[in-house]
Amino acid sequence: MTGREVAIIGVGMHPWGKFSQKSFVDLGVDAIAKALADANIEWKKIETICSGIYIWGGNAGHLSGQYLASVFGETGIPIVNVYNACATGASALRLAYLSIVSGQIDVALAIGVDLSPEGFLTAKSDNPRQDRDVLRWRMVGMPNPIYWALECRKRMQKFGTTEVDLARVKVLLSQYGAKNPNARYKKVYTLEEVLTSKMVCDPLRLYEVCATSDGAAALILCTVDKARQYTSKPITIAASTIGSAIYGDPTLRISALSAPAKAEAPLLSESYSSSQQAYRLSGIGPEHIDVLELPDNSSWHYLQYLETCGFCPEGQAERMLQDGETRIGGRIAVCPSGGFSSFGEAIGAQAIWQVAEVVMQLRGQCGPRQVEKAKVGMAQTYGLMGNSGTTILKA
Amino acid sequence: MEENRKGKKKVPALPDLFTWGEDGVHLMSSHCGSCGTYFFPMYHEQHKPGCSRQGIEKVLLSKEGKLASYTTQYYMPPPPFKTDREITPYIVGLVEFPEGIQIAGIVVECKSDQLKIGMVMKTTTFTLYHDQEGEEMVTWAFQPAKVSESWNDPSGGRG
Repeated sequence: MTGREVAIIGVGMHPWGKFSQKSFVDLGVDAIAKALADANIEWKKIETICSGIYIWGGNAGHLSGQYLASVFGETGIPIVNVYNACATGASALRLAYLSIVSGQIDVALAIGVDLSPEGFLTAKSDNPRQDRDVLRWRMVGMPNPIYWALECRKRMQKFGTTEVDLARVKVLLSQYGAKNPNARYKKVYTLEEVLTSKMVCDPLRLYEVCATSDGAAALILCTVDKARQYTSKPITIAASTIGSAIYGDPTLRISALSAPAKAEAPLLSESYSSSQQAYRLSGIGPEHIDVLELPDNSSWHYLQYLETCGFCPEGQAERMLQDGETRIGGRIAVCPSGGFSSFGEAIGAQAIWQVAEVVMQLRGQCGPRQVEKAKVGMAQTYGLMGNSGTTILKA
Repeated sequence: MEENRKGKKKVPALPDLFTWGEDGVHLMSSHCGSCGTYFFPMYHEQHKPGCSRQGIEKVLLSKEGKLASYTTQYYMPPPPFKTDREITPYIVGLVEFPEGIQIAGIVVECKSDQLKIGMVMKTTTFTLYHDQEGEEMVTWAFQPAKVSESWNDPSGGRG
């Protein structure tokens, strides 16, 4: 990667939960104010805002950056709002990062906010010709977890994944969520509790699919040269990438009703693409990563992403989990935040939150869930319709 | 097939997705003569990179395919999914057609413990709801191609 080096100097997070009495502006302002305080930087020093589009917020949500900026005081800086489904935050971060790499500006704010509608997320248009999302809802009744269950059952058939393997993911992540003040769910679950929880779409049970939550997270980035003015622990961005799907990917992607039968590309090819780009650009490989936040939308994702991003060969993720390799203290700490399992999805915010978690790990600020001697971390997203983001960070 | 017992018509809930005739129900696809890809829905083109996109033809997929995966959904999804009776739990299956495309759809006429990945499924229809004139608004669906006597209607005959 040529261009200037960039560091994250401030992180801020509104805790995840359900906040029906609050607006997206309330949550976003809270996260930004915390990030500014964390970086010990004045608002007027921010030179660009890259903001995740809040799709459920109408005109205001689509111009979330402008709405949030007006609260702190408008300064005429470039504000760009981006949407890439679950990789929205990763896209905002990449844009902020590239704005600094290019030399156009020195200090950037990346922000993502979401207040999810109640229950299942659903279609946002009514035109089936141009939005096939309408088709999957109207003609088949396919909420997102059905997609995950279909892929999960294929995995069970191919590699012998068991119900216990799936439940084990929740048991482990619940232990971390219980130690994270920003998590929505803080109860520690036993294997039996998970295995007797309600079936949502078999083989996936209630505690094995993530909820939809409200939350906000903000990051302040600046050139590595200037970072020391603000913090004694700048965290360097080694790569910030976005991936899209590859023709021939056999994954039945959310919103699609069809997929190729013959695999000519990897499963979850968008995440394969983004992680491979990040490894290439940073010169850092999966073997160097100490802490990984992956998108555990379901127990299936936890297992599959370990393989998609190259942390183990195909079919080995269950063994890695069972042998404790993915625990804090194991070969690589996976989702020490408690993951989506403990937070729930907040579409526009979650990728920024994952990066904020990794930053706190690399700074050594995570208390009882701290990964000892964590030097290199990675945040990986998933995204509807074939989009994904990867961020690799160095202490 | 086109008229039910009360003499009311069956109508696809949305057009250009599937059709039926004497020889059964077929999903509607289109096939690119250049890159060989089949699309579903037929109007959503998804070519191989670099394809000239020449020679796209509408085709009907084979009636039968193999079950690639399945799940039972226990909760009723929100609108715009609409049925005029309780259908949960219902099965959604993914069927791999000989043309080289997997397609998702509701599975009828069997229980989930009777499903096995690799078994032969045939395309059929499933009534979602009745419109104001009493016409059946149907979607495409799949059912095991060889029905044994032990198979029951998952909707308990309410369908």
